[in-house]
Amino acid sequence: MKTDQTHFFNRELSWLEFNQRVLDEAISNQVPVLERIKFLAITASNLDEFFKVRVGGLQMLLQEGSHRKDPAGMTPQEQLTAITARVEKMLADQYQVLLNEVEPSLAEQGITRAHFETLSADQVNYVENLFRNEILSIATPMGISSDSVCPLIPESTIHLAVRIRTEDDDAPERMAIIPLSQPIPRFITLVGQGGYHYILSEDIAKQFAGEFFPEQEIIECTPFRITRNADLSVREDLAHDLLSQMEEIIDARKESACARLELDHGASEDMVQLLTEFFDVTPSSIFHINGPLALADWMQLAQTQGFDELKDEPWPSQDSPEIDLSESIFAQIAERDVLLHHPYDSYEPVVRFVEEAADDPDVLSIKQTLYRTSSNSPIIRALARAAQNGKYVTALLELKARFDEARNIEWARSLEKAGVQVIYGVKGFKTHSKVCLVTRREPEGIRRYMHFGTGNYNESTARLYTDISYFTADATLGQDTSSLFNAISGFTMVTGLEKLTASPLSLRQFFLDAIENEIAQQTRGKQGHIRAKLNSLLDKKIIKALYNASQQGVKIELNVRGICCLKPGIAGLSENIRVISIVDRYLEHARIYEFSNGGKPMVAISSADWMSRNLDRRVELLIPVEDPNAKQRLSQILDVCMADNVKGKELQANGSYHSPAQSNLEVRAQATFYQESVEQVKLANRSRPTHFEPFRAPETSS
Amino acid sequence: MENQQQESPTVTPLPVRMVAVIDIGTSAIRMAIAEINIENNIRILEHLSQALNLGQDAFTLGYIQRSTIEECVAVLQDYQRVLVEYQINDPSQMRVVTTSAVREAENQLAFLDRIYIATGIEVEVIEEAEVSRITYLGIQPQLTSSNQIARTQLICEVGGGNTEVLLVQENSVPFSKTYPLGSLRLRQRLKASGTPTKKMRDMMENRIGHIVDQVGNHVPQEDSLDIVAIGGDVRLAAKQILPQWTGHSIEAVPVEALAELTNVILEMPVDEVARNYNISDADAQTLAPALLTHVRLARAFDLENIYVSNTNLRDGLLQEMASKESWPEEFRKQIVGSVLELGRKFNFDEAHALQVAHLAQTLFQEMLPEHKLDPHYETIIYLAALLHEIGLFVDERGYHKHTMYLIRNSELFGLGKTNLLLVALVARYHRRASPQPKHDGYDQLNRHQRIVVSKLAAMLRVAVAMDASRSQRIGQLTCHRKAKNLVISTPDVTDLSMEQVALQENAGLFEEVFGIPVQLSTDRGL
Repeated sequence: MKTDQTHFFNRELSWLEFNQRVLDEAISNQVPVLERIKFLAITASNLDEFFKVRVGGLQMLLQEGSHRKDPAGMTPQEQLTAITARVEKMLADQYQVLLNEVEPSLAEQGITRAHFETLSADQVNYVENLFRNEILSIATPMGISSDSVCPLIPESTIHLAVRIRTEDDDAPERMAIIPLSQPIPRFITLVGQGGYHYILSEDIAKQFAGEFFPEQEIIECTPFRITRNADLSVREDLAHDLLSQMEEIIDARKESACARLELDHGASEDMVQLLTEFFDVTPSSIFHINGPLALADWMQLAQTQGFDELKDEPWPSQDSPEIDLSESIFAQIAERDVLLHHPYDSYEPVVRFVEEAADDPDVLSIKQTLYRTSSNSPIIRALARAAQNGKYVTALLELKARFDEARNIEWARSLEKAGVQVIYGVKGFKTHSKVCLVTRREPEGIRRYMHFGTGNYNESTARLYTDISYFTADATLGQDTSSLFNAISGFTMVTGLEKLTASPLSLRQFFLDAIENEIAQQTRGKQGHIRAKLNSLLDKKIIKALYNASQQGVKIELNVRGICCLKPGIAGLSENIRVISIVDRYLEHARIYEFSNGGKPMVAISSADWMSRNLDRRVELLIPVEDPNAKQRLSQILDVCMADNVKGKELQANGSYHSPAQSNLEVRAQATFYQESVEQVKLANRSRPTHFEPFRAPETSS
Repeated sequence: MENQQQESPTVTPLPVRMVAVIDIGTSAIRMAIAEINIENNIRILEHLSQALNLGQDAFTLGYIQRSTIEECVAVLQDYQRVLVEYQINDPSQMRVVTTSAVREAENQLAFLDRIYIATGIEVEVIEEAEVSRITYLGIQPQLTSSNQIARTQLICEVGGGNTEVLLVQENSVPFSKTYPLGSLRLRQRLKASGTPTKKMRDMMENRIGHIVDQVGNHVPQEDSLDIVAIGGDVRLAAKQILPQWTGHSIEAVPVEALAELTNVILEMPVDEVARNYNISDADAQTLAPALLTHVRLARAFDLENIYVSNTNLRDGLLQEMASKESWPEEFRKQIVGSVLELGRKFNFDEAHALQVAHLAQTLFQEMLPEHKLDPHYETIIYLAALLHEIGLFVDERGYHKHTMYLIRNSELFGLGKTNLLLVALVARYHRRASPQPKHDGYDQLNRHQRIVVSKLAAMLRVAVAMDASRSQRIGQLTCHRKAKNLVISTPDVTDLSMEQVALQENAGLFEEVFGIPVQLSTDRGL
């Protein structure tokens, strides 16, 4: 069957369905209530980013007069209309859950959001003082009019829009904006009797707003927030100093067009009119919110100390028996490859890998890519220390990592100061691959040790994202990795890689060839079988190849967390394709690809999704995993992920997601992985002989 | 008191030698970093390559532009950063060579000086014959280990400036030649002469045809001959045709498939070739002419397949570094093979020549403490000894001068111009006049080379005297100092009178050079 536009889902709507699945976790009363709050906050934060990047981008296309259709045949205007309708519905669901389910449930447990009118006299006194000391003295109202120059309104934070009138009846009505940004806290704790009681800063500010405008009358006071388009990028072809131009982009975002205006649903038509004109937004970009704005801030509430009974039972990361942190990591990797599944297996070995390299006198060099890292990264500290220890250290710090630009610029400067050779990325491409290469001299000669990952070098997110780490000292992979670093450092043209596959060079072709090979196997009478676990599936050529494979009888099982533009289960097109999406406690993030290859399976991990941006516009890596144990573990991960019938939802041909048919056995992938990691540790401890290691006084030499 | 040695973190000493070779070629600058272990095994750790079109300057303008020189400096500075990583900082760990583009550039010296000033790197301009020798060194291990190719092989490399051909027969190289037609030079010439694009292929075929004819004339038509092609262009083509080829072994590529690919590439504009195959513009320019040359050569020999090897000049340079600058035995055999071919061509007394060569070589080894010369000069004296009498073919009178002329005008596989001149001069001075600064050839040498020639010629004269009987009766000899004399003893014969007379006539130069008289004695029965 020939593919046409009816055979693809629109990516934006598919993403919104992913966000709905996250929202479903907030809706589910099987989930502990503070976790439900967490999922609500995540859906809100996801939507913020969606408007900044995707909607902002579509609005720009519309302004440019583009009618270009996406693979699903939708113009930018059609997409924006559909997005608005879908988001309206999602917002309604969000606030229904918050106001009617989660907040009442929290209140039963002693966590309450107070409204001003319900405060006691002492509490009123308290918040009035707080207003005078911490809000009135900090926030400065900005007078605005439709013909005035727009003041710089920071995005995302809550503001109050105030309509005011002087006592002089002839004077025109005026409008002012009061910012409630940092350091004013959003959640203000109230003294109460047990539990946790809070009130939102905008509720207090609204109550006492008159104090900003003495002798004037407040006609209306409405909380609102804007979201600015962040889909801006450096013209890299003209960029001579990427670092300073990235700083300009960060500044430019502060003034970019408004992609969304959210305001309290009680705002009058006049107020809406004024803000619409002022921020130059179209009606479809305005959302009237029936409840508090910026639900992403509720993550703070979800992480409130105490109330453990309202949270998930903790699943502490385990020290994998695969690697003994009391021994040299290099000696262990030299002996065998090590595969870790985070966050079930602790991320500590990854940090230790870099730390040990920094202090090992036999290490000659460390080379590492860094896309997003934590604010206080031990890995970056280790790299700086390595450079100070005289090692040759190269860090490819991707300055173009969206929303992490400012942090990365800061890291770049501090690493350079320590003597690290910092590369700010590659012109025209974002370096998204996650690899660390350590070159060490040993009695037999030079040996290279690698860590390949599917997740960022960020020990904080490594506790929340599921990812794979693969340590190996394979000589060919070492040579390939070294060539890759030399290429991205500009020291060499890209030469042929033997085992690694990299985008934008050959990764797409590799996948297309592998799919084609499964078709060939199928025609030879062997069952073709493709399994992939990834975050997003958008690439048209890959989808077409998968449709083709399905039509030839190849069995295709996909575990796609987020966007999936492929339509499964359509007779004559994709009836051999199943798509499962898991949304659970951790963010599914590992990318694993498996091709049965006529009975000799090829299993690989990667930093790349099946998206055009990964295959064409980013430096990504696909790492074949050859070690039999590691390979088997990856296959088992795929088995379990495809079998998840608790948190896994199956994509239907109409774009909806349903729970897979329940079998007798309930499988919740993340719980299974956690249990397995605990069992492995127990097993290893049982098989380890008891051995006492006494602490002795140091020997003195005579 | 016991030695109280404190334990401190120590750096493991490198058990291997870290070395680097850089090849400044016509279209790219390439570097290989390798480690060489105590068994002289080479493991390549890094391959780096950056496009730089030196050939375009040299072959069209006749000189290398200032901007190109600066680009070359920038590339070498990049490479130096990688060298720092591997702690390669001693000049003895590196060899940096350049071939036809720089060799032919008018401003060669300015180029070399600028590189030295900016980077501290001494670039060595290698001659054509030297390139052949080094190339052979690189490919030789693969030829030995491959059992699929014929015993007679024609090694062909179509470089940017030249096409190099080596005939390998039974592990010897009876013929080698460098033709001044390279892929880049060909394209530049056609461009310079304003050849329209449509006619480009015909013109290429025409020029390549001349070279192919010449190769055909030089190489015997044998049933069991295989072509082994090397070079970046044919390597790229092989990878297109055989995607599974890893480059670790010599692989057969069907000539028809190669011809088909060549046709496709010939039809493409150069920028499309670069984009399609992810190569530099410089490499894209050379691809079609290089492949066309290989196809034409293969067809000239009626071959269905040509064998492609992944080896290159850098492999040869590394082999040479592994053998610590002396010429490896296998390579020495190759040169000797081609020298013997030359001797036979001039009807030399082979038994005598071999005997004198053997004696000269033994003397060279025995006298190491006296002459203190680098090991590779042993091969020079050996070759000179083999050829010292070939001038007799021309005329007995002043035959040593004819010998010199014949050697200088021969193409001996693997011997660059300088080494060829050394062989010729050592052979010339095996009799009659001592070296004089005014003598032709000798006047071209620097002081070190003049000393080398004098020392080798002095030893050769002794060796010639020792087979004065032409009966090869002296096989073994040892040298030792006795009083103020150097005594050469042999256990093989008791009556050495004939040799002693000859030595008296020939020992003058020896005394001049080494400052000690030489004596011959028998140690039989002692």
